[in-house]
Amino acid sequence: MNGRLFSTLLICGIVLAGISLVRAGGRLQLAGIDQGYQPVQPIAYSHRLHAGELAIPCLYCHSGAEKSRRAGIPAASICMNCHRFVSATMGAVRAEEKAADEEGREPRSLVSPELAKLYQAHGLTESLQPDPGLEAMPIAWKRVHSLPDFAAFDHRPHVAAEISCMSCHGPIETMDRVRQEATLSMGWCVRCHRETTPRTEAGRPVDPPLDCVTCHY
Amino acid sequence: MSQGSKGYWTSPDRRGAADGGVSPASGEFSVMSVGDLPALPRRDFLRLAGFAVGATSLIGCSRGKEREVAPYLVAPEEVVPGRAYWYATVCGACPAGCGVLAKALDGRPVKLEGNPQHPLSAGGMCPIGQASVLSLYDSQRLLAPLRDGNASDWPSVDAELSAAFERLAQGSGRVRFLVDSTTGPTERKAIERFLARFSDARMVTYDPISLSAIADAHQETHGLRALPRFRLERAEVIVSLGADFLGGWISPVEHTKAYQAGRRLDRHEGDFSQHIQLESRMSLSGSNADRRISIPPGTSATILAHLVDRVARHAGTAPPWQALPAAPIEGRLIEDLARALLSAHRGHAVVLCGDNDSDAQRLTNCLNEMLGGYDSGHGRALIDLARPSRQRIGSDADLLTLMTELEEGAVDALVVRGANPVFDLPFGPVFAERLRNLSLVVSIGERVDETAQHAHFVCPEPHFLESWGDSEPAAGVVALRQPVLRSMGATRPLLESLAAWRGERRSARDQIRDRWFAEVYRGARDAAGFEAFWNQTLHDGCAESEATDELAGEFRKSALSPSPSAAPDAPALPAELVAEVYSSPQVLDGRHGHNPWLLELPDPIAKTTWSNCAALAPATARSLGVATGDELEIEADGGAKLLLPVVVQPGQHVSAVSVALGWGRAGTERFAGVGPQWLEGEATVAPGERVGTNAAPLMVAGTDGIAYSGLRVKVRATGVKRSLATTQRHHTLFVPAGLARAGHERRPIVRETTLGELRHAVHGAAEHTHHEHPSLYAEHPKSPHHWGMAIDLSRCTGCSACVVSCQAENNIPVVGRDEVFRSREMHWMRIDRYYSGDGDEVEVVHMPMLCQHCDNAPCENVCPVQATVQSAEGLNQQVYNRCVGTRYCANNCPYKVRRFNWFDYPRQDRLQNLVLNPDVTVRSRGVMEKCSLCVQRIQEAKAAAKIAGKALDDGDITPACGQSCPAGAIVFGDMNDPESRLSRLKQDPRHYAVLDELGIKPVVGYLAKVRNRTEPVGTVNHV
Repeated sequence: MNGRLFSTLLICGIVLAGISLVRAGGRLQLAGIDQGYQPVQPIAYSHRLHAGELAIPCLYCHSGAEKSRRAGIPAASICMNCHRFVSATMGAVRAEEKAADEEGREPRSLVSPELAKLYQAHGLTESLQPDPGLEAMPIAWKRVHSLPDFAAFDHRPHVAAEISCMSCHGPIETMDRVRQEATLSMGWCVRCHRETTPRTEAGRPVDPPLDCVTCHY
Repeated sequence: MSQGSKGYWTSPDRRGAADGGVSPASGEFSVMSVGDLPALPRRDFLRLAGFAVGATSLIGCSRGKEREVAPYLVAPEEVVPGRAYWYATVCGACPAGCGVLAKALDGRPVKLEGNPQHPLSAGGMCPIGQASVLSLYDSQRLLAPLRDGNASDWPSVDAELSAAFERLAQGSGRVRFLVDSTTGPTERKAIERFLARFSDARMVTYDPISLSAIADAHQETHGLRALPRFRLERAEVIVSLGADFLGGWISPVEHTKAYQAGRRLDRHEGDFSQHIQLESRMSLSGSNADRRISIPPGTSATILAHLVDRVARHAGTAPPWQALPAAPIEGRLIEDLARALLSAHRGHAVVLCGDNDSDAQRLTNCLNEMLGGYDSGHGRALIDLARPSRQRIGSDADLLTLMTELEEGAVDALVVRGANPVFDLPFGPVFAERLRNLSLVVSIGERVDETAQHAHFVCPEPHFLESWGDSEPAAGVVALRQPVLRSMGATRPLLESLAAWRGERRSARDQIRDRWFAEVYRGARDAAGFEAFWNQTLHDGCAESEATDELAGEFRKSALSPSPSAAPDAPALPAELVAEVYSSPQVLDGRHGHNPWLLELPDPIAKTTWSNCAALAPATARSLGVATGDELEIEADGGAKLLLPVVVQPGQHVSAVSVALGWGRAGTERFAGVGPQWLEGEATVAPGERVGTNAAPLMVAGTDGIAYSGLRVKVRATGVKRSLATTQRHHTLFVPAGLARAGHERRPIVRETTLGELRHAVHGAAEHTHHEHPSLYAEHPKSPHHWGMAIDLSRCTGCSACVVSCQAENNIPVVGRDEVFRSREMHWMRIDRYYSGDGDEVEVVHMPMLCQHCDNAPCENVCPVQATVQSAEGLNQQVYNRCVGTRYCANNCPYKVRRFNWFDYPRQDRLQNLVLNPDVTVRSRGVMEKCSLCVQRIQEAKAAAKIAGKALDDGDITPACGQSCPAGAIVFGDMNDPESRLSRLKQDPRHYAVLDELGIKPVVGYLAKVRNRTEPVGTVNHV
């Protein structure tokens, strides 16, 4: 065996391992923990606007949280419930109306560049007519909150126990781009399971299990 | 129960060894001394260790690739991603037509379960049905039509075929349509309609494993060509001559349900039927019989004649014959059988015969007539001819006529659907030869099988989970099949193909609806209208239709042959033997020969995997000088030579060599790469070979049908040793004799008793069941639940449905032949099969063995990283992400139920990853795993109860094994609930825990096996 080669490889390994523990902001973070992860999404959807300013309930879009293990990312058809009618910000529409009024013409219909991507995904033109040149394609969002495969999390009992979404997902109503607020580590889960008893913040009686098989099976 | 000295053993070479122990060198236990370890200098060790630490930290230190999620563009109504939906449908794995519920998750079916509402299968399933979901994801299924073996498309195939059929209709019109019994009633109707335009056209139905003789015999004796429905729950005495009704005969799930319904211990004595099996091989039914008699193959007819004679004499009527040929078994046994049959109330005894021989079947009918089996009395008769079974409707005579027509050139076109005659008939090669003379051969099926290779057109059909269909497994029972996902390719159902060739476009669903409206609904008195009836049937999966009773005539004694045939002469042992072939418990008649779950499922009796074998009696094997794993050459009269590994089978008749059918399918060379590829690994299939050997040349094609036994064969040991992968010596619970202290070799593993003894000494068993053991550890309170399980050995037939069900539910990999050979199969649930008895007649006990979830689990104490710990509800938890793979737990487990991932088991077929259950982790290399009592189902039920704000009820949770069990042998429940079914079973005097004396408090318990015998107390022994 070539001892020098081994020693070199070993030192390189340790140095690289050390570097990989240092994350953005200079914090030390264990492998597999992605706190602060904030990817750029294909459409710059703002939770601050929808959940914060417009105060749309979380479950309106993420209805799976009540019915399935996964809260899920809403289908693009859910967006169209509103965006069939709303295609630009109120400010832009008002400005256009004002400009049209001043110029003495009919206001033009405005489509924000981000919503144009939504219509494109549906294979629609900006005037919401089917565009034969476009192929309807689902939107591939970047997944922010992701647990490893060996951990099973079920949204339903948490929603049923009236645990607020923000307890785990952070102040989502202030985020333009969603960021992973919590560590989503096992210790973080278990701390809450230990402390939230016998009642949740909302006053629901709970008895959170601490068994391994609660999540690992 | 008495403590006696009955010895149990698992394989013949262990028999007689002290308590089944093995010497350390002979197999499972190998002893390695410290001196054998390779020398490793300290510095090298430190270097390697340092490198390993560095490398592992490097691997774990990056965020995985950015993951994308693409939700629906337009969400379908009522579909929530991640939520399981269940659809009632009909299993298409065999003609029995059991009702199943298919679990669809995110649009793909991942698991099949029995439909409890189905009148025949009543929630049970068989291993083959369980495994059929995997076939859906077989990448070698044909997904587009072929023209002369080349890829084509439907428009061009349709154009050519429509023109060809038009020419035939104008011309000779000699068209034959060959189907098997899986063809549904609407499909048969459509075929008949399709054939109506030809002047000389006929539909020929045959079954690869034919029961044609039963129907033919009823034609002669009762004037009705039908296969009766055997309602075994009514039987007090069942005498079966070679009919493996719990294994592969007609409808095993239905029979197992009914059989166990007729063997109940919770009511009075008459409710426990007596089952006597006469057979020449050890079948699953034989292994469950209260009494088993091994008979020379091909002698059923003679034995039946003697029985008819004897029963007639007892009944005081004149026997039909003056003289009888010599009986192949002792007269004393025949007398016993006659007495047993007559001990039942009239109409409550039945004789079943498995021979496809109309002579034997006519005698069976005669005997059943004398015993009153056809009497309807109150309700349905035990042998129901008025509402017959439609599960096997083939006719051997029709098939043989077709063969003659093919030879004479009296046919121009042949359409084959769902059948594979080139593979599964004894004259398959001749059949293939004759196909060459036809102007048009069309094959309709799921893959390019042996027959389709000779076809001009191959029209692929969807898997049964992708298609619409209907079934009528018995007169008066109708069921609907519905698709669970859209076809994965350009496949097209038969109904649509037939319509297209007539120039119509009508979907299969509409065609079925049309027929149901016209024919089925007519009988259903449903005020809500057809739409409601259709929707309800679709929801339930099945309905009872008002069929009119078939009219059977009076029994005609004249149908019996004037003199009973004599038994064939005994062969010149041991070089000459009589061959017997049977339906494989794994791959059936071969239609599942491409399913790796089934190929790796241990045979319920021989425990062999990845091959069929030639079973020989121990005495025959001795005189031939062969042992299990040696290669045997079987030479039939026609010169066909088969090479098969021997398996020495206790209970086998000395003159019989039996081989399972259905193995050796073309294309199974693909499994060469299954399992891990590593330095010492061997391919599962050797180059140029197939998985197993086709035993069809050992069938006998007679003048009136096909016989499955009776062929005289010459056998010879070739001297080659095959590495036969059998699991019968794996994971043994015996203590090796050399390792145990005196008196400690024997452990109470299986317990059995007789009905007589049980009735007399109900309280006697309690002394074994309640051992109190002092413990060093404080008792852990178990709340709010304490999960447990009870398995009734009396109900378990060993069918292995639970094994495959567990495999499907828990993402258990297939490891390949070589790994099984190394005792590394991954099944969480295994069925241990124990033999007992002296001489050649052995008895069998099947014992499902899985993690016993001990309250004081020995695996937990030895884990250095706490990867296996006790839950608050009594589950022994295995935490994969903590496990570092020391395997100490497996060493310390007395039940040997832990399985180690030696490799990342690659799926040989990547498409088959789609069958993975997303609710269960896929384990990676270096991790220990074992039964979790289906904790994912416990969590699901708890979440559902929590949301509904209810408490969990008994029966809300059923693990995969218990759900599939057709015998209802496995009961899961909460031991904290005194009213639960489980708690009541735990109080049963038959209840005991395996290896209870270790003080580890397993929560899985067993109920002792009961055999219906009347021996006095004390003569039956227990380990």
